[in-house]
Amino acid sequence: MDLLFAAAQSALAPAALLAVLAGSLLGVLFGAVPGLTFTVAMALVVPMSFSLDTAPAIGLLLGTYIGGMTGGSVSAILLGIPGTPSAAATVLDGYQLTRRGKASLALGTAVVASAFGGIVSLLIMVASVDTVAKFALRFGPAETFGLLIFGLSTICGLAQKSLLKGLIAGVLGVLIMTIGIDEMEGVLRLTFGTIVLQQGVSLLVAMIALFAVPHVIDAFVKHYAEERRPDAIADVRAELPSLRDLAKNFWLMLRCSLLGTGIGAIPGTGGPIAAFLAYAHARKSSKSPERFGRGAMGGVVAPEAANNAVTGGAMIPLLSLGIPGDPATAILLSGLLIHGLIPGPMLFISNPGEIYEIYIAIIVAYAAVVAIQLVGIRFFVQLLRVPAHLLAVGIIVMCAYGAFSIRNSVFDVISVAVLGALAYGLQRVRIPLTPIILGLVLGPSIEREFRTALILSEGDPSIFVASIPAAMFIGLAVLVVSTQVFRATRATVIARRNEDKARASVTPSE
Amino acid sequence: MARFADHPERRQDVIAGSILLLFAIGWTIAVWLTVPTGYSVGPRAFPFWLGVALAVLSALLLLKGLFGPYAAAAPDSDEEEGPSVSIRRRLWLVAVVCGLIVAFGWLMPKIGFVLATMVTVTVALVGPLGERRPLLVGTMAVAIAFGAWLAFGKILGAYMPSGEWISVF
Repeated sequence: MDLLFAAAQSALAPAALLAVLAGSLLGVLFGAVPGLTFTVAMALVVPMSFSLDTAPAIGLLLGTYIGGMTGGSVSAILLGIPGTPSAAATVLDGYQLTRRGKASLALGTAVVASAFGGIVSLLIMVASVDTVAKFALRFGPAETFGLLIFGLSTICGLAQKSLLKGLIAGVLGVLIMTIGIDEMEGVLRLTFGTIVLQQGVSLLVAMIALFAVPHVIDAFVKHYAEERRPDAIADVRAELPSLRDLAKNFWLMLRCSLLGTGIGAIPGTGGPIAAFLAYAHARKSSKSPERFGRGAMGGVVAPEAANNAVTGGAMIPLLSLGIPGDPATAILLSGLLIHGLIPGPMLFISNPGEIYEIYIAIIVAYAAVVAIQLVGIRFFVQLLRVPAHLLAVGIIVMCAYGAFSIRNSVFDVISVAVLGALAYGLQRVRIPLTPIILGLVLGPSIEREFRTALILSEGDPSIFVASIPAAMFIGLAVLVVSTQVFRATRATVIARRNEDKARASVTPSE
Repeated sequence: MARFADHPERRQDVIAGSILLLFAIGWTIAVWLTVPTGYSVGPRAFPFWLGVALAVLSALLLLKGLFGPYAAAAPDSDEEEGPSVSIRRRLWLVAVVCGLIVAFGWLMPKIGFVLATMVTVTVALVGPLGERRPLLVGTMAVAIAFGAWLAFGKILGAYMPSGEWISVF
């Protein structure tokens, strides 16, 4: 107990608190701007952390991580452009809520859901690091492949209007990511002899191109057609969600937090897949699924709770096994190592005080992020008062710069323009863009896990059904896809029959 | 093919289906020709089969557009067809927006972030958007450039190109 007090003392010392606050602010800002992600922020922050004591250093890194994960929802909701890949699912309903004048409600709910997810995952982490770590270890490439394929199959749920187009979009997404140097054997794939294509398509570039550019073009088109949307400018109050509204979503938040924690604990999977799976789950378990995609609050609560729960979940293999699940936790790992904290089973025995400091820092970080965003809402929503076409110009600059800053490369900016034009074209023929993002995010991992699994099993495909989790996920994926295909085919047959009937009844009277 | 007229979505599906089918075929052939096979499921497998899958799906879309049934246009208010702007005009706007992005990306290393921003904003406002109020244009240009410089450059510490030709800071 006195260990806890000692830890609290150092973790709540002014220096540490300031560090967490600074990190959270930085993280939120970076997370909110498309193209700048919190991984970049963390990388910028690491050198600063070297000279600090342990508690402030960890606090700074954790604050940035958590702030970044939460910040992505700000631009996702306000502008329809996700600030980080994990926020891509939040766009679906969050942006619709903004268009209906409920922006600040959405922002407030998103922040609370995020904090809820984060704290729940922290509690799970504290209570069961051991069990979750063992569970995460069970996930070899075959199981991870199953999980990812299941995540991809949720496309079927996202493509509300047309299953066919949703599948096309998903395939396109996965397809594009194969351009570049093959990860496993180092051969060039479809680079057409250029050097610059060897780096492949950057996920962030694609995200900006898919979300921001069509949005800007639409704004220009609308302005050209001189369509004023008075309702969009009118209702910009800064109202916060009531406790009752939040309580309505309690069980959903809890389930999605558990989901996010589990997915975070599996190395190689992270925020985006947790967010999309949570979204699909929320839709399926909702009493009014047709409201999803049109501004259902559950569509904001679910992905935000899940993607923040990933932060706690990802810390589990990090602390207990020293395995970072994604670049952000890898940077956290480096921070820990610099300060002499070597992750692994021994960490809990040799440095229990520091472990407590980490837990407390996480709580403080969430408190800071919630405070920052709730205060910030009032300013953020003023952004909506700006006329759409002026905002569009600002977005052009922001996204072009964001794209440039990824790799300091003009090629990336050009890619945004090209891909953006193509994305607009796809949008005009009603191909949904969200499954493309899902394909982009999951594609490389799916291929990698699939091929690794087969290498491990020396070519034996039965590895995919050998273990329970693998068989289960793949089975679920097949089930989801086949039910949707069945339903779609049946609908087509019925529609065809109706059409024939209608035509048959017209001819006799002529 | 008089049926094309009865439903806008049909036309979209035919266009989308045919373009995607051509792309998928081209892709698959390119993969087949240029990517070597490797151990077990090698580097060629995924791109190839993905290309095949895309070809099949887009062929299905094309067939649906040509022969499939379409429900009568439902009064779906939230599925906005968008303002009635001609295709030519739309294409031009697409070119303008993409041109602006590319121009900004090209200008930035040359004349620095601040100037590139101001130029891009000014051109964007005066050109396609037709803003003629000099005060508004000027303020926007300066405000966005300065605001971004402050936020990105100073507070976030990200790299702000300062330009080979002219440098403001």
